[in-house]
Amino acid sequence: MARPSAEKTPSVYLYIPNIIGYFRIIINFIAFAICYSNRVLFAILYFFSFFCDGLDGWFARKFNQASTFGAVLDMVTDRVSTACLLALLSQFYRPGLVFLMLLGLDITSHWFQMYSSFLSGKTSHKDVKDTGNWLLKLYYGHRPFMAFCCVASEVLYIVLFLFADEKSTSLLNVCRGILKQNPLTVVMFISTLVGWALKQVINVIQMKTAADACVVFDLKRSK
Amino acid sequence: MSFYLSASTFGAVLDMVTDRVSTACLLALLSQFYRPGLVFLVLLGLDITSHWFQMYSSFLSGKTSHKDVKDTGNWLLKLYYGHRPFMAFCCVASEVLYIILFLFADEKSTSLLNVCRGILKQSPLTVIVFISTLVGWALKQVINVIQVSLKQL
Repeated sequence: MARPSAEKTPSVYLYIPNIIGYFRIIINFIAFAICYSNRVLFAILYFFSFFCDGLDGWFARKFNQASTFGAVLDMVTDRVSTACLLALLSQFYRPGLVFLMLLGLDITSHWFQMYSSFLSGKTSHKDVKDTGNWLLKLYYGHRPFMAFCCVASEVLYIVLFLFADEKSTSLLNVCRGILKQNPLTVVMFISTLVGWALKQVINVIQMKTAADACVVFDLKRSK
Repeated sequence: MSFYLSASTFGAVLDMVTDRVSTACLLALLSQFYRPGLVFLVLLGLDITSHWFQMYSSFLSGKTSHKDVKDTGNWLLKLYYGHRPFMAFCCVASEVLYIILFLFADEKSTSLLNVCRGILKQSPLTVIVFISTLVGWALKQVINVIQVSLKQL
C-alpha cells in the first residue's frame, strides 16, 4: 500500500480536529453502550459529542488543519450517531417505522448530496450556491439557519428519547404529554418541531436535486 | 446488491443507498430484539462508515464504481473484489445471518449468545448453514474494517 505522500499522511491522522473526531466517536460509543441504563447521561454525552462537532470545525480553521479525511470522518460520525439514535427511537415508540424512515431519509439525502457534489466537482456538500431552490439557498446561505435546523432535529430526538417510557409507546401520546407541560417547554418543543420539519423538507429537496444532478451528469457524458 | 451493470449513475446510487438503508434498518431491529443491542449498532456504524469511505476514496481516485478496486494491495480486498462469487457469498451470508437472527428472536431470550447456542443445537443442516453465514459475515466485516483503515483521503 505505497502512496507517494505516505510521509505526510500519518500527520493528517494526528491533526487536532481529527483527534477531536476520534474523541467524538469514543464519546458516542460510550453513550450508546449506556443508553439503556442511564438515559440522562446518554443525552449529556450525545450533546457533548455534538458540541465537539462544532469545536473541531473551529480548530480546523484556527490551526489551518482542514483535511478531506477530517471532513469525511465528521460527516460519517454525524450520520452514524443520528442513525443509532433513530434506531433507539424506533425501539421505544410505535409506529417504529416513522423513525426507520427518518433514518433512511437522512442517509439517502446525504449520500445523494455527497455523490452529486463529487460529480460537479464541489468539495463540501455545504458549498451549494447555485442550487435554484430558495429553501436550499436559505439553508446553505445562512449558517445560523442551518445550525438551527440541525440542532433542533437532534434536540427533538433527544427529547423524545428522554420522554419515552415503557407504558406509553405511542408517539402521539408522548407528544400530547409534552404539549401539556409549562409554556416554556411547549415553546421549546414546538421550536424543535419546526426546525426538525424544515430539515426533513430540506433533506427531501436535496435528494431530488442531487438525483437530478446524477441524471444530468449521464446526459452530458453521453453527448 | 447489484450484480448487474447499472445503466445510469442515478441507478447505481439508488442501488447502493437502498442496500445501506435496508441493512441499517434490519440492524436497527436486531438492536431492539437482542442484548447487547450495541453489537448491532456497531455493525450499523461499520457498514455505513466503510461504504462511505470507500465511495469517497473511489471518487478521489477517479473510479466509477466502488467495486472496481483493482490495485488495492490488500490480498483479502483483492480476493473480494476480484472474485464476484466470493463477494456474493460474503454479502448474501451477512444478510442471511441477520434474517436468521431476526426470525429466531423471541421475547423470552434476548441474549444473543443464548439464541446462537440454540441454533447450534438444531439439525446438522441448520448448523452448517448457520456456521457458513457466520463465516461469510465475519469475512465481510473484516473487509469493512480493512476498507476504513486503508483509506487515506
